[in-house]
Amino acid sequence: MKGKFLLSPRVLGALLTLTSLPQTAWSSPNEIVVCYPGGPVGENEADTAMAAMLRVVERVGEWPADSFTSIFSARSDECRNLLDSRKPSFAIASLGLFLEQRDAHHLTPIVQPRMKGATSERYRLLIRQGQFSSLDDLKGKSVSGTVLDEPEFLEKIVFGGQINPATYFDLKPTRQAIRALRSLDKGELDAVLLNGQQYAALGSLPLKSPLEVVYTSVETPLMGMVANAQTTKAEDRERFAKALQKMCSDTDGKKLCELFGVEAFVPANAAAIEPMIKLWQKGK
Amino acid sequence: MTGMMSPRLLLALGMALGGCASLPEQTVRFQGLSDCPSQTPRALLSQQGNIGPGSSTHALQCALTVARETRDPVLLGTDLPARLALHLAERSQDSQTREALANEGVRLAQQALKQGGAENGGVHYYLAANLGLAIHDHPLQAADQISTLERELQKAIQLSSTVDDGGPLRLLGMLYLKAPPWPTGIGDGDKALELLNGAVDKFPDHPLNHLFLAQALWEVEDNARMARQQWNLGLEKLNKGPWGYNRAIWNREFQTVAQELDEPAR
Repeated sequence: MKGKFLLSPRVLGALLTLTSLPQTAWSSPNEIVVCYPGGPVGENEADTAMAAMLRVVERVGEWPADSFTSIFSARSDECRNLLDSRKPSFAIASLGLFLEQRDAHHLTPIVQPRMKGATSERYRLLIRQGQFSSLDDLKGKSVSGTVLDEPEFLEKIVFGGQINPATYFDLKPTRQAIRALRSLDKGELDAVLLNGQQYAALGSLPLKSPLEVVYTSVETPLMGMVANAQTTKAEDRERFAKALQKMCSDTDGKKLCELFGVEAFVPANAAAIEPMIKLWQKGK
Repeated sequence: MTGMMSPRLLLALGMALGGCASLPEQTVRFQGLSDCPSQTPRALLSQQGNIGPGSSTHALQCALTVARETRDPVLLGTDLPARLALHLAERSQDSQTREALANEGVRLAQQALKQGGAENGGVHYYLAANLGLAIHDHPLQAADQISTLERELQKAIQLSSTVDDGGPLRLLGMLYLKAPPWPTGIGDGDKALELLNGAVDKFPDHPLNHLFLAQALWEVEDNARMARQQWNLGLEKLNKGPWGYNRAIWNREFQTVAQELDEPAR
């Protein structure tokens, strides 16, 4: 619980900042919905992290402290409810949630993270070497991973409409990729679906069985912050995007970015996102 | 017996972020110590077995004052000064006082390492426990400290996992439970379960061993039934054991975890 201090230097500073800033279209404090479907993070931990992140964003974006608040969920159904009930101007969403909710909430991407020099990734289905030769062989087999929480996204984007993973595989969702990989290593699972960041880090794990990729998805854009294009002005979106772009070069923000393996936030690449929208619509 | 580092603290570590600010060196001044018993450092050491959750705050303040004022390398080379600071920090309602005492505990443990305490598991354990408490409300400082916490707790386990009824096992288990998971961090549910099961098996009378295992069973295994079983066992130990001033503090942690267990499965 924060204490209340009358006219402390911090409050005075905030007041001075407030009076010197242009008015925004949205009210303050502004609530950001943060969705991390299937993520390994609890609400309490995420709230702590988001609060720290927002304080950095406020500082680098020259907003008064505590202009933003956040609400977090790692569950797809709850994320949908939050978008419906809270009607946020800004949200952090997965690609799947963005594609699903884009029309209903007029979502437009404003920044993407760049990780290991890339703003896109591929999903890969891994098996023990020599165990299976194709996706066909995996029908009815057990598949785990942290990215199984959005079945429609898996079907339409990751597997490009070839299969419906929810019925094709025996899905075993987990919040910890390392557990799934250990189980695969021990032969307790048939396959594990990894995102790009997880696949790139595989070499750091001491696994006994050599693994191989049996399926690779199309290149998918990494998703960052999205905005409701109807409730925000272009200058609001630009200002927020610029603040996020500065974040990873800020002293505190840099540590935060490093923690999540993010090198920088860059303006969203509409050309990379458009094919995803088409793929999603094609699957309807 | 102390059993420090609250689950709340570790929640902060769970999504620990960056920042490498050095810990502030403010010292908390105690009031009303004129009636402290005259204690030599050696006498204090000889009575350290009596210092614990049941000790009055006044007695702890008197003892810490002795440790602050002495240059006796024998006392300063033990884990007792850092343990006293931690007891007092945990009892502090005011966050600034709590942080200042925990920071002092870190300094006292670091001093003990230099004064011959490097092979004392308790020194490493209380260094980690104080450090965790000091950064509790400062997630921006926590990321850089995670590796220090891990290293100190691993060293404590290697030297003496029995300190504070399995304290090093308990805290390292929670660190692995709450730290960012692979591939970005050291978080590892399997390691957490192994350590916390070990803590419960070897030290079943400590309530926090059960409480932390309950959290791991819930968060890693989604096993609400077994988590609730451990929660109940822990609460029973808390109510029946000699936990003195810590009973009320830990009871709040039990209630926080109970709310999490009552939430719908994720």
